[in-house]
Amino acid sequence: MSNPKPETQNQKSKMPVTRWDMLLGPRRNIVYVVVCAVALAALLFLPRMSLSGFVLTSLTTALLLAVRAQAWNFIGGYTGYAAFGNVAFYGLGAYGTAILMTKLHWPFLPAMLIGGVVATVYAVIVGLPVLRMRGQYFAIATLGVAEATRELVSSPQLSKLTAGPTGINLPFFRPEGLSGAAAAAVGSRYFYYVAVGLLVFVVLVTWLLTRSKLGYSLVAIREDEDAAKMLGINTTWAKVAAFAMSAFFTGLVGGHYAYWRTFILPEEVFNVRYTLEGILSAVLGGPGTILGPVVGGAIYDAVSTFLTFSKPFGIDLGQFHVTILGLFIVMVIIFLPRGVADFFGRHKFSLGMFLENVRQNRV
Amino acid sequence: MTILLGQSLVNAILLSGMLALVALGFSIVWGVLKIINLAHGAFIMLGAYVTFTLFNLYHVDPFLTIPISMLALFLLGYLIQAYVINWVIRAPLLVTFLLTFGLDIILINLALFVWKGDVRAVGPAYAGTGLTLFRDPLTSQGIQVPYVRLAAFVISLVLAGLLYLFMSYTKLGRAIQATGQDKDAAQLTGVRVAPTYALTFAIGAALAGAAGSLISVMQPFDPNMGGGYRLRAFIIVVLGGLGSIPGVILGSVLFALVDVLVGISPLAPLKDGVAFAMLVLVLIVRPTGIAGKAFY
Amino acid sequence: MKIHLLVLLSLWVVASLIAGCATPPAAAPAAQPTAAPAKPCTITFGAAVSLTGATAKEGEYVKNGYNMFIEDINKEGGFKVGSQKCTLVLKIYDDESNADTSAKLIEKLVTEDKVNLLLGPYGTGPVFSASAIAEKYDVPMVEPGGAGMKIFTRGFKNVWGTLPAAPNYLNSAVDMIMAKDPSAKNVALFIENDSFSQEVADGITAYLKQKGLNLVYSEQYPKGTKDVSSLATAAKAKNPDIVLGASHLADAELVVKQAKDIGLNAKAWAFSVGPSTAEFGTALGKDATYILGVTPWTPAMKFQGQDIYGTPQKFADAFKAKYGYVPSYHSASAVATMIAFQKAIEAAGSIEPKAVREQLNKLDVPTFYGQLKFSPEGIIVKPMGVVQWFDDGNMYTIWPKEVAEKDFIYPAPAWDKR
Repeated sequence: MSNPKPETQNQKSKMPVTRWDMLLGPRRNIVYVVVCAVALAALLFLPRMSLSGFVLTSLTTALLLAVRAQAWNFIGGYTGYAAFGNVAFYGLGAYGTAILMTKLHWPFLPAMLIGGVVATVYAVIVGLPVLRMRGQYFAIATLGVAEATRELVSSPQLSKLTAGPTGINLPFFRPEGLSGAAAAAVGSRYFYYVAVGLLVFVVLVTWLLTRSKLGYSLVAIREDEDAAKMLGINTTWAKVAAFAMSAFFTGLVGGHYAYWRTFILPEEVFNVRYTLEGILSAVLGGPGTILGPVVGGAIYDAVSTFLTFSKPFGIDLGQFHVTILGLFIVMVIIFLPRGVADFFGRHKFSLGMFLENVRQNRV
Repeated sequence: MTILLGQSLVNAILLSGMLALVALGFSIVWGVLKIINLAHGAFIMLGAYVTFTLFNLYHVDPFLTIPISMLALFLLGYLIQAYVINWVIRAPLLVTFLLTFGLDIILINLALFVWKGDVRAVGPAYAGTGLTLFRDPLTSQGIQVPYVRLAAFVISLVLAGLLYLFMSYTKLGRAIQATGQDKDAAQLTGVRVAPTYALTFAIGAALAGAAGSLISVMQPFDPNMGGGYRLRAFIIVVLGGLGSIPGVILGSVLFALVDVLVGISPLAPLKDGVAFAMLVLVLIVRPTGIAGKAFY
Repeated sequence: MKIHLLVLLSLWVVASLIAGCATPPAAAPAAQPTAAPAKPCTITFGAAVSLTGATAKEGEYVKNGYNMFIEDINKEGGFKVGSQKCTLVLKIYDDESNADTSAKLIEKLVTEDKVNLLLGPYGTGPVFSASAIAEKYDVPMVEPGGAGMKIFTRGFKNVWGTLPAAPNYLNSAVDMIMAKDPSAKNVALFIENDSFSQEVADGITAYLKQKGLNLVYSEQYPKGTKDVSSLATAAKAKNPDIVLGASHLADAELVVKQAKDIGLNAKAWAFSVGPSTAEFGTALGKDATYILGVTPWTPAMKFQGQDIYGTPQKFADAFKAKYGYVPSYHSASAVATMIAFQKAIEAAGSIEPKAVREQLNKLDVPTFYGQLKFSPEGIIVKPMGVVQWFDDGNMYTIWPKEVAEKDFIYPAPAWDKR
């Protein structure tokens, strides 16, 4: 079945396609690079602003969400294969890191990397059969894979390696010679910077992807897979590659989480919530764009934090937190199905845009 | 050993009827509207709570509450389709997927708000009683056929039969089938698509409500009970083939057999994993399911 | 495309401002609690408890326990710290039964709300998370809701728990059954795929072996499963004398219901979690009769304590007067955590973390909750009591014998003979 897909305005076109492009004129690439650098510097500078540990931790969570969303973007946004089972990679990354650190006493960063590799290998093995399906079948098959992976990892059969349902405790991050608040501050910063590093890594890879042959192949597959095949693109290889990349970064985030939280429980680390947050952030920001998922992640995290902490007009929203998120999802899906990126893609920004979206999609 | 196998066979048959009811509503919506309704589990859950409320507050027998829960879910389903889903029905898969997912979240959390997260059960006096077949005079053990499960099995088959008759022999039913086969052609023959969609979705929801009412007597439940059934519905529809009521029944039987047999084997902790392996296998080997693509 | 970054940046700032709440980001990260409280002195406790979500009910029990104790102790002026009395203040947040949220909130309590000491959440996941943050900032935390041994084998210095360790949960029930009927040897064990339940299962499996009982059937079922009839069928084929469940409330109910359906009979039934709460009886009605549950505390136990309540009955009466229902062990456990702090602070003469830690480790005092004494890992050393459901629809304490309200009914008749 044909899948009409959202326009992606930054697909390597050297011609100005959006009004922002037209506004900035021929120097726009330089402007983009400068803005990028400024943003990155800001991220790196933030911890020095004497922020409380809580704020730093919140930012770290937001960053990790952005990485997860960006990772999903490879398979979901660029390739058009809506994978609903990425939490399997998250969990495998976490378990890989945990096992390496506890049983083989590896240091954190290499363990996290190998955790990502474990997830990638799994993605290739599982992807080969599963990627043969399309659309809805693929989506639910990946959901099934995630459930099955959780069961497998926490089963008695594997419990010698994974400790079954009781989970694994990781070594605690204790900086040399420090204790209490000072140690905590070092810890918070450390995990924050690793998260920033992961984000930069995944955004860079995404950017490189859009300039590569693989990137073109993926977009071709998304637009019309059969035509892509006829053009001689090795669709199987391309899809598996996208799936593997998605798994790698999601696995890295899982590894980070494991060490950061100091423990992993299968019911926590394979919780479908992680997949859904990633997908929602990506869709909210604009799937198939380089920075859409990052923006989406920021918005989603802000809304979520707002719902947890703020008490507008004295009403405690805590109990409606998830309901409101659900409503938020529904609203976004109806009025902004192509994500926030829509604001930057259209020629005319107006409220009519929302109605136009609905008109396009209604029965 | 024979008692073990015999009991397992009985368990599987009884389970399959109930699972068929769970999967039927899901199958129709998928086949005709071409959307995977991720809120299907929530509809089942709401059916269970309707029965729970009526049983606890007004002491209505659970089986008598089935028409009421079906009606309630029918109305809810109609409203949701007409005023929410119809707005995104032509959007790409991911969009409708996420929409029904959002609806699922909203429904579950509203249920959490109204009924709280406590585990509930519907316990009429006759729950747990049943026939004992092949009773061994020495141990007085035999194969148990619980009345509640038997009744659920019969009711599921009756509803499936009614659905089949409705779809094949009534004007509305045929309109629904036509819309599922070719929406534009159906429109040309005078079928109004939007209300037809709403009706189909409503029927799917009503069937889910009935399933929920039956389930409420067989196991304890809370607002999150729907997720597992949703996944099972998907597997059964894929197994049996989208678009065929006999296919759904066949799929349920197959699924129930595997589920029960794995449950008495050492692979029991991996039950769900085996179910999914089955799913993936079918999708690779015979994606149209056992019954193959039939009429809608 | 890069305009996204400007949006991103502004959203980041907005997000961090929102996340930082109404107060501007703290200038000095002095999370170390003050050594001695100034006058007028207050001690601020921080807690993140599940007021919504899956464990909302237990979370509410815990919260009510905390609140009632603080109110009652403040009526007497508060805790004795050295030569003065300091009133208590509680800052409590809802962690939505979510481990990540719990960690976030504990971090907020420590770094922004500047609490002095921490009280724990309810639920294995949140306790794991919250305790890691307590350890990160070196702030003592006593928690009422996590019994998993793995929480305590991490080498942390800042965590204590008032629920007995999971591996020991079912021991008392087994002891009691063996005392009543030494010929009951065959045991079937149903295990929920969950960290707490697995620990219970591992513990009881070892204990059964130690005591010479035969584990004829032992199988794990997926968490949240809808159907255990296959397991019940397989267990039935092995003819067990005793059926044990390492479970939570929902699956305990499920096992009982489906055992009845399948005709799985046993002379004694016991579950780690489920029968010890009132909901079990409400949900199962007559089917709950004869089933055993384990609990660290009931109002019937005859402890004599050196605390504000003194006996379980007095505590239960005060709680019922305030909230309208008889407290469960969750509330008692919650109050026990605060009493542990109270005794430790009094002995230390200050609320300085190092001193409090030392005293908590040395603690050995009788309370309305029983003897408050922690193992070297930080978990309370306390045997579990046993309750049983009777056909009047109520749950009675039947073990330890000294505080038993009624006698243990054994054996449980077959389902079709009830």
